[in-house]
Amino acid sequence: MTGKIIGLGLRLMFVGLIASVCLGLTYGVTRDKIREQELKQELESCMSVLPGVKNSSELKEDRKMREKARKVTGSVQKVYSSDKGHVFIVKAKGYGGPITLAVGIGTDGKITCVSVVSHNETPGLGGNIEKDEFRKQFNGMGGSDKFIVGETIEAITGATISSKAVTGEVADALKAYKAVTD
Amino acid sequence: MEAEVTYWQEFKKGIIAQNPLLVLMVGLCSALAVSNRFENGIFMGVAASFVLVFSNIIISSIRKWIPGQIRIPIFIVVIASFVTIVDLVMKAYFPPVYERLGVWIPLIVVNCMILARAEGFASKKTVVRSALDGLGIGLGYTLVLLVMGFIREVLGTGKLVVFEKTVFSLGFFNPPLIFIMFPGAFLTFGVIMAVLNRYEAGKKK
Repeated sequence: MTGKIIGLGLRLMFVGLIASVCLGLTYGVTRDKIREQELKQELESCMSVLPGVKNSSELKEDRKMREKARKVTGSVQKVYSSDKGHVFIVKAKGYGGPITLAVGIGTDGKITCVSVVSHNETPGLGGNIEKDEFRKQFNGMGGSDKFIVGETIEAITGATISSKAVTGEVADALKAYKAVTD
Repeated sequence: MEAEVTYWQEFKKGIIAQNPLLVLMVGLCSALAVSNRFENGIFMGVAASFVLVFSNIIISSIRKWIPGQIRIPIFIVVIASFVTIVDLVMKAYFPPVYERLGVWIPLIVVNCMILARAEGFASKKTVVRSALDGLGIGLGYTLVLLVMGFIREVLGTGKLVVFEKTVFSLGFFNPPLIFIMFPGAFLTFGVIMAVLNRYEAGKKK
């Protein structure tokens, strides 16, 4: 009886072993490519929010600034710096899951552009946070501006929660920027 | 019994007579969720078929060596390995599609379509038959996804976009969004199933 169970266990282990070897090999082949793709996507979003940055090599990840910014708000994930300004990668809860934004802030402390890196909102409703009409509202806003949905920011019809989430994230990014540069 | 079924029949049955979605009604969850775009059907179909064919082949070739008591864990390990391979490859080479299909790729592991074929077919039949069965079932799954994706995308967005190219656009109406959302999946699926049943019933008469 015990011998049989051990036999079964050994067979299962053998199958598991072969499977792990196969997966390890696949992972080894795809790992670098996956990292490259993720970084490329993030850098592309960053470049799109800072006008004037032509090459992704101009953007440098700024760990020092990130640490300082994290003390102000936990939504800041990463900070990229260049001589044209900074890009804050912020992430916070939306309606259908986390919304990740890239917020570009120019050297004058004003928002240059906001871009949605990833989101999981309802297509056609909250998904419209990707649309220019909504995102462009933030362009040019700076330190003293108030971010209030319904007053300074026009919400997307049928997607108040998504609109509020994005607005809050942009305000967070700006708040972090102010705290860091002061 | 086995001698009576030709290889061609083994392959063909998955497309209509034993279509996994419309007749066996397995693997519906992923099909309803990803069929809001035509393009998704291509990738999801290929991914699921790949897993189906290879897990069928492996399971069938080791079927005599697998003890009955632990067959399910072994099936799952085999299936999960192939799914993870697909997952990693898609992430590396097709990141935009991977993002859209999201959690549905890893969830192929628990797609009962694949386990049902492993348990009900591959663990009893020869390797060649199992491979053909996997191909046929995979193709049947893919075809339904494509038809559903086509209907839902065209009705729900008013246009068809494949590989970032707009194939055609119906500019004249305001598309009902419901078709690319979940209720649209059920409506479309129900109608397709009704049509197929009508067709099958007509054939019998």
